[in-house]
Amino acid sequence: MPGAGKRQKRALWIASIPMAVLALSCVYPVFFAINNALKSNKAYILDRLSLAYEPTLANFVQAWTRSHLNEYFINSVVVTVGAVLLLLFVSSISGFALACLRFPYRRLLFAIILASLMIPIQVVLVPFYRTVIALDLVNTRIGLIISYTAFFLPFSVYMMTAFYSGLPRELIEAARIDGARFSQVWWHVMLPLGRPALITLGILNTLYCWNDVLISLLVLQDQRTLMVGIAALRGEYTTNVPLLSAGLVLAAAPIVILYVFFQRQIVSGIAVGAVKG
Amino acid sequence: MTTPDSSTGASRLRTASKSRRAEMRFAYLFLLPALLLVVVFRIFPLLWGFAISFTDATGVAPSHFIGIANYVQAVSDPNFRDSIVNTLFLLATLPIWVALPMVLAILIDQGVPGGKLFRAVYFFPAVLSSVIIGSIFNVVLRYDGSFNAFLGAIGIDAVDWLGSSTTALLSLLAVQFWSTFGMGVLIFLAGLSTVPKDMVEAARLDGAKMWQIWLHVIIPSLRPIIEFSAVVTTIGVLTSMFGLIYVLTAGGPGTSTTLPEFLIWLEQGKLNQPAYAAAISMMLFVIMAGLAWLQIRIMSRNTNL
Repeated sequence: MPGAGKRQKRALWIASIPMAVLALSCVYPVFFAINNALKSNKAYILDRLSLAYEPTLANFVQAWTRSHLNEYFINSVVVTVGAVLLLLFVSSISGFALACLRFPYRRLLFAIILASLMIPIQVVLVPFYRTVIALDLVNTRIGLIISYTAFFLPFSVYMMTAFYSGLPRELIEAARIDGARFSQVWWHVMLPLGRPALITLGILNTLYCWNDVLISLLVLQDQRTLMVGIAALRGEYTTNVPLLSAGLVLAAAPIVILYVFFQRQIVSGIAVGAVKG
Repeated sequence: MTTPDSSTGASRLRTASKSRRAEMRFAYLFLLPALLLVVVFRIFPLLWGFAISFTDATGVAPSHFIGIANYVQAVSDPNFRDSIVNTLFLLATLPIWVALPMVLAILIDQGVPGGKLFRAVYFFPAVLSSVIIGSIFNVVLRYDGSFNAFLGAIGIDAVDWLGSSTTALLSLLAVQFWSTFGMGVLIFLAGLSTVPKDMVEAARLDGAKMWQIWLHVIIPSLRPIIEFSAVVTTIGVLTSMFGLIYVLTAGGPGTSTTLPEFLIWLEQGKLNQPAYAAAISMMLFVIMAGLAWLQIRIMSRNTNL
């Protein structure tokens, strides 16, 4: 029925108009932040909606140095890189053991790791904080790295186990041939084979660690990660929107760049994460 | 096996059991870091928190066992009650959280012009930190912010969006919805790829109208995704809004945008009532466990997820 097809096409064209408006709203924050970051505070107060006529980089300089975003940025980089590497290492060895090796209580141990998904940070806020203090990890970057690993780990272990389980049987049998060389099998076989899954997990965990604020507020109180610093900047400079906007641009830039380059991995990975995690 | 061919059956058996023991040892060694992290930072704290919730601990003075007093306190605490009412208000809008992404996903799946681009752009806010989104909307929705400036330009009176209780909660709802609906679109698109295309085609050839195909073919076959999306959204409302609340409204004005997770944080920190916070945490855990059970049931019923 060509008539019906034509009608459907027209309906889809009409639907695409509100959908395009919605899409514009999704990129609006980027425009808002960049545009206002380039204005002087006076220009912003005079006209909140206009484009930046006389763009200035002064806000970026001030946010970066005088508002200490440079320190917070380094904290975030160190903590994110550390936590992501630790997450990849731990989830890859656990996934190897759970998917390829035979041992008693395998299913039980897998279930314990997955069950901790039911325990988000809010559910253990008080005792978790006390545990961190008791282990002398409070206000240390290594403490935050370990905390991130503990909270983002179960999904990564699940992904690696599922990925390794999907590999051909012969590879897994080969891994079992000689007990003494399991660590070499992991290093020479499993780690290179796991690359696609490890890349996806690396990107996703980078997003989670970089964007976190609650765990960071608890563990790293004195030094501040970038997101905690931004939240504080929001509170301190309520009247200086251009300065805040410059901070937002600097804080979001790494994630926006990551999204532009790895959009495919992020989109497929987060869909799986939402389904399983 | 590395055992040479000439070896006897007994020694082969010995080697086999030796290598199985080595396999076991290695497996436990490789699982140790993951188990240690999960047990020390999540499972043990859960049990400890359960114990704390029956005490009057403040972190300074020695604590005493006070039975279920913290739980009793929660029932009569107006802040806690408000946080529950706010949560229920957000959850009352669940049908929209599920339906709108579903409609958008179906339109993209049917080849709306620009669909591929929409998919990528809709998802973009979900990768930004809630702190960044919250900061931007805090500025945009202020009384002297750009949203009111925009409304003024088209002749609508300014509203103090974040300053009055009803509009503050609505603003929180809208911003959270806006920043996560792209995730829902992705989940539905994944589900739509399993809808049999020949069924849709057959219905079309039978002369069914587009809305009839939607209502009778596509949407019924998405049922597992709809259930799943409802559970995931509920979990999100309960455990992923802290960052947004923290920077957008700080739970206010009053308690109008306080949700349980934000109240837990306030009670343990600013208000120095860790034992009471632990009790609220325990109640949240019971709900989370129930939702997890629901999620597992939905997923095991639909193996294609």
